[in-house]
Amino acid sequence: MSRLSVRALLIIPPAAIVAGLLVTPVLYLLRLSFFKSVPGRMDLIPGVTLFNFDKLLFDSFYLGVLFNTLWLSCLITALTLVLGYFLAYFLWRVSRRWKMILTLLVVAPMMIGIVVRAYGWMIILGDTGVVNGFLKWIGLIDQPLHMMFSDGAIVVGLTHVQLPFMVLSILAALDRVDHAMAEAAETLGADRLRTVWHVILPLSFPGVVAGCTLVFTLNMTAFATPVLLGGNGTHVMTVLIFQQFSQIFNWPFGAAAAVVLLGLTFLVLFVFLRLVMRRAAAWMEARPEENAA
Amino acid sequence: MSRTFLAVVGLLYVFMLAPLVVVVVVSFNAGTVTDFPPSGLSFRWYAYALSLDLYVNAIITSIWLGLAAAALSMPLGLMASIGIARGRFPGRDALQAFFLAPLATPGIVVGIALLVSYAAVGLRDAPLRLLLAHVLITFPFSVRTILASLSRLDPSLEEAAATLGASPAKLFWRVTFPLIQPGIAAGAIFSFVMSFDNIPVSIFLTDVHTNTIPIAIMSYLEYNLDPSIAAVSSMLIVGSLALALLLERIFGLRRVMGM
Repeated sequence: MSRLSVRALLIIPPAAIVAGLLVTPVLYLLRLSFFKSVPGRMDLIPGVTLFNFDKLLFDSFYLGVLFNTLWLSCLITALTLVLGYFLAYFLWRVSRRWKMILTLLVVAPMMIGIVVRAYGWMIILGDTGVVNGFLKWIGLIDQPLHMMFSDGAIVVGLTHVQLPFMVLSILAALDRVDHAMAEAAETLGADRLRTVWHVILPLSFPGVVAGCTLVFTLNMTAFATPVLLGGNGTHVMTVLIFQQFSQIFNWPFGAAAAVVLLGLTFLVLFVFLRLVMRRAAAWMEARPEENAA
Repeated sequence: MSRTFLAVVGLLYVFMLAPLVVVVVVSFNAGTVTDFPPSGLSFRWYAYALSLDLYVNAIITSIWLGLAAAALSMPLGLMASIGIARGRFPGRDALQAFFLAPLATPGIVVGIALLVSYAAVGLRDAPLRLLLAHVLITFPFSVRTILASLSRLDPSLEEAAATLGASPAKLFWRVTFPLIQPGIAAGAIFSFVMSFDNIPVSIFLTDVHTNTIPIAIMSYLEYNLDPSIAAVSSMLIVGSLALALLLERIFGLRRVMGM
């Protein structure tokens, strides 16, 4: 047997793992989403029904959960983009000596478990927490503000989780931009803001698109942060899925909810990328005239 | 850079680091409730946390699970990467995407898909359920770091060894393996960290006797807010940061993240 085919054989064990533990289970999950679900019955009744999808897409409660998930994901993506661009631009400008340690300070929290970071936010945002303690101390409030277990707490916690992903995506694009570009624009009389808006932002646009795509997907499917910071009454899809599987035991309905969540995520990304590509193309075409004006 | 800009950046760093700092500060709290600032300095919550079976058992589970997952996913990642990088057959890009699919699939989907599938085949042993799942979700990290190492490898080194008559096995163990060692080590360490921190897959596969540490903290948080969680969390923060620094040294943290 030739050496090359021996090497090709190497892929069989890992391929078997992915096929057996990911592809087959996900296909089974898809199949399960068409099963009939009978509340209160643990055993699964095979069949083909659209009942679960009908309930998810036409019942106002579940539709509300779906829209809330989408709204929160978009909001957090936008927030992360603005804050992340600041940080990435800063890391791009900062001197080489400081860049490594300052980048590490942004990236290192990614290595710390979600539950630990969520607990940190509970200490900060809780009724007897840091923020309330401070506001009481300066005499601004008498009664604590209830910030925990709300959509607001989820927004804060998820922004914290996703920010490093956005920064790294944008920074990867910025690192390919020649610093001389910025200097040239400034030599030609553009101020800092105009330089960033007209030169740096377009050049780092692929990083912005990549970051938004990644962070939006991570937001739609985030589970631990919404559960911990939003509480069990949180109206997001992942928490709904978790409840169906772990508390209500309506597996087919939970499976259908997962299918709908993934479908909506892909649909939004598809539309977003189409719009972005069209916009980027128009942008590039408009450029010469804009410069001439 | 203007002062306003630097002020915004400073606030963003505070935002990034604040939740970690408060956890460490609270862990040294002498009081009984999680109040901030702490009422006095004490190690009592560390002692208390380490006396609770809930935490100790979960930490032991997480450590063996992480080590076993890393140990099993490393050779799998090595096989997959060598196959992709050195094999000559069509569709290698698609194959790479296939091997990275466990990373691209949302954790909660992997979790529920495995939950229903394990139930369908009657696999009830929680340690085995967790181990298989963690091998699946960690081996793509090895694929990523080892592929990154292989792509930087000068092909002339391997060609020279082959020309000089090294057998394929000798060529691999004496030339390729030593050169991609940082990628292998980084993949294994990152696999351990990702297994250790995992929630969305583990939460569906644990049982009363087998709990991982993030899941144990989550269930403890439902009924208690005492600083013992801060003590455990602080230990996890120190451990994670140590591994982060190690990864930065041997491979570069941004490369490990694939960004």
